[in-house]
Amino acid sequence: MSAPGRSASSQLARKRLAGRRALLATLMLLVAVASAFPLLWMVLSSLKTPAETMQVPPVWIPRTPSLEAYEKVSGVINVGRSMWNSLVIATITTAGILVTSMMAGYAFAKHHFPGRSLLFSVLIATMFLPPIVTLIPLYRLVGSIGLNASLAGIIVPNLANAFGIFLMRQFIAGVPDDLIDAARMDGASELLILFKIVAPSVAPAIAALALFAFVYHWNSYLWPLTVLQGNAEHYPLVISLSRLLSYNRGALNTGLVMAGATLAVLPPLVLFVLLQRFFVDSIVGSAVKG
Amino acid sequence: MIKNYRASAGIMLAPAVTLIGVFILLPMLLTIWLSFQDWSTQTPFSNASFIGFDNFREVFGPTSVGRHFKRALLNTAIYTALSVMLILPLSVAFGLMVYQRDVAGGTALRAVLFSTYMVPMIAVTLVWSKLYSPSEGPLNQMLGLAGIGPQPWLSSPRSALISIVVLNVWQQIGYFTVLAVAGLTQIPGSLYEAATLDGANRREQFRFITLPLLRRTLLFSAVIAIINAVQVFEPVALITQGGPVGSTNVLTYHIRRVGIERAQGGLGSAMAVMLMLALIVVVCALFAFANRKDDE
Repeated sequence: MSAPGRSASSQLARKRLAGRRALLATLMLLVAVASAFPLLWMVLSSLKTPAETMQVPPVWIPRTPSLEAYEKVSGVINVGRSMWNSLVIATITTAGILVTSMMAGYAFAKHHFPGRSLLFSVLIATMFLPPIVTLIPLYRLVGSIGLNASLAGIIVPNLANAFGIFLMRQFIAGVPDDLIDAARMDGASELLILFKIVAPSVAPAIAALALFAFVYHWNSYLWPLTVLQGNAEHYPLVISLSRLLSYNRGALNTGLVMAGATLAVLPPLVLFVLLQRFFVDSIVGSAVKG
Repeated sequence: MIKNYRASAGIMLAPAVTLIGVFILLPMLLTIWLSFQDWSTQTPFSNASFIGFDNFREVFGPTSVGRHFKRALLNTAIYTALSVMLILPLSVAFGLMVYQRDVAGGTALRAVLFSTYMVPMIAVTLVWSKLYSPSEGPLNQMLGLAGIGPQPWLSSPRSALISIVVLNVWQQIGYFTVLAVAGLTQIPGSLYEAATLDGANRREQFRFITLPLLRRTLLFSAVIAIINAVQVFEPVALITQGGPVGSTNVLTYHIRRVGIERAQGGLGSAMAVMLMLALIVVVCALFAFANRKDDE
C-alpha cells in the first residue's frame, strides 16, 4: 500500500514518460518518411501514365499502374548492354580489390619489414584524396597506355584501393598468430596461408568489402564518363541514364526518368536489403577500430 | 626463415603498391608538376613547358579564368560548410533515435536511413530534379498545401547551391548516422547512471557526457563529410551545369571542365593543387581545434 501523494506523482511521471515516447515515436516516423519518400515517389511515378505525372494536384498512387515508361526507357537507351557493362565493371573491379586488399592487408597485419608503418601511412593518405585531384594526369596516363575509351580503362586504375587494404589489415590483425605460425611450421606457402587459413576467419569482412566495392563501382560516374570519351558502346548504366534527363526535356519525361532511376537503384538496393548487417558492421569496424 | 617472409611480404604488397603507385600517387605528383607547366591535356606529357607560377597567377588573377575559379572555390567552401553544418547535428539526432531503447524501431529507422546511401548519385539526381520541379514537383505541391508559395529551388542563383546540398545530405545522412551510433555505443552506460544519481537531467547528460565523448566520432565524420562534399559532381553536371549565373559551379565540375573538356591541363592542375592545399589546411585546422579542446 502506498501513500496517495506518492501514487499521484508516479502517475504524473508515467504520463510524462508516455508523452516523451509518443513525441519520440512521431519524430522517428517523420524522419523515416522523409528519408523514404523520394524513393517511394520514384517507384510510384515510374508506374504512372504520362498524363498522370503531369496532373495538378498530383496523383500520388497510379490508378492503373503501367510499365509503359520502362518500355520507353529501353527505346531511348540500350538497357541490356548498359547493365552488362555495369556488371562487368563492378564485378571485375571488386574481384581485383578483394585480392589486392587481402594480400596487402595480410602483409601489413602479419609481416614485419622495414618501413612498414611509413608505407602504410602513405597508402592510407590516398584514401583522403578526392579523385578530381588526380583526374587530369590519370586521364592522359591511361590514354598513353592505350586503355582510353574501353572497359579496361575504367577497371584497371581501380583494382586496388586504400580503404580495402585498411579494412583487411584491421580484421586480419585479429587472427591469432599461433594459427599462422602452425601453418608456417607445416611448410605452407604464405599465399596458401592467406587464402586457406586467414581468409575463412575474416569472411564477414571480406563480404563487406565485396559489397562496398561492388556498389561503389556500380554507382561510379566521374571516371567512366571521363575515360570513355563519349564511346556509348561501353557506357555503364549510370551514364546511359543521364541521357534520359535531356530526352524530351521538361515535365513530359518524368515517368521515363523515374523508370530509369528505378533500374539503376535496384541492384545496389537489393544487395543492401539482403546483406544489410555486413554493411553496417564494416562501417562500425572501420570507424571504431581506426 | 625471416628472409623468406620478407620476400613474401614483398610479393603480397606488390600488386596493391604498384597499382596505387601508378594510378594514384604518380598522377598526384604529375598534377603538382603540371601545375607549373604550360600543357594541353590532348598532348603527351613531354610537350609540357615550364612556366613557373604563371598558372597560379592566372587562376587567382582578374581575368575570366581567375573570376570563375575564385567563384568555384567560394561555392565549394560554402557547399562544404553547409554540408558539415547539416550532417553533424542531424547524424547525432538520428543516431540518438536509433540508439535509444524507449521506443522500438531504431534498427528499422537505421535501415531506412542507410538505404539511401546505396542509391547511385545519378538516380538521386534524376529523382530530385523532378522533386524540385517548379510547377508539378511534389515539394512545391506540398508547400502549396501548407499555404507556402512555390520555391524556385534549382532555378534561382540564391537557392540552387543549397538545394544541391539538401539532396546530398539526404543521400549521405544514413552513413553518418551509423558512425554516430557506433560512437554512442562506445560511451559507458555507467557514466549516465552516475549522472542520474547526481541529479543531472537528460539535457545536462547530453551536454556534459554525450557530446564530449562523441568528439572523436564527430571529428572523423567532419573529415569524411568534407572530403565527400568537394566531390559533388552529378547534380551539377546534369541539372545546373554550374548555373544559374555560376552559383553551383563547384570545383570538381569546374576542374574537369577546364582540364578535360577544354584540355587546359596546366591550368586545371593548378586548380587541383589549390584544392588539395585547401583540404590539407582545413583538415589540419580541424584536428588542431579538436586537440585544443582535448586539453581543456
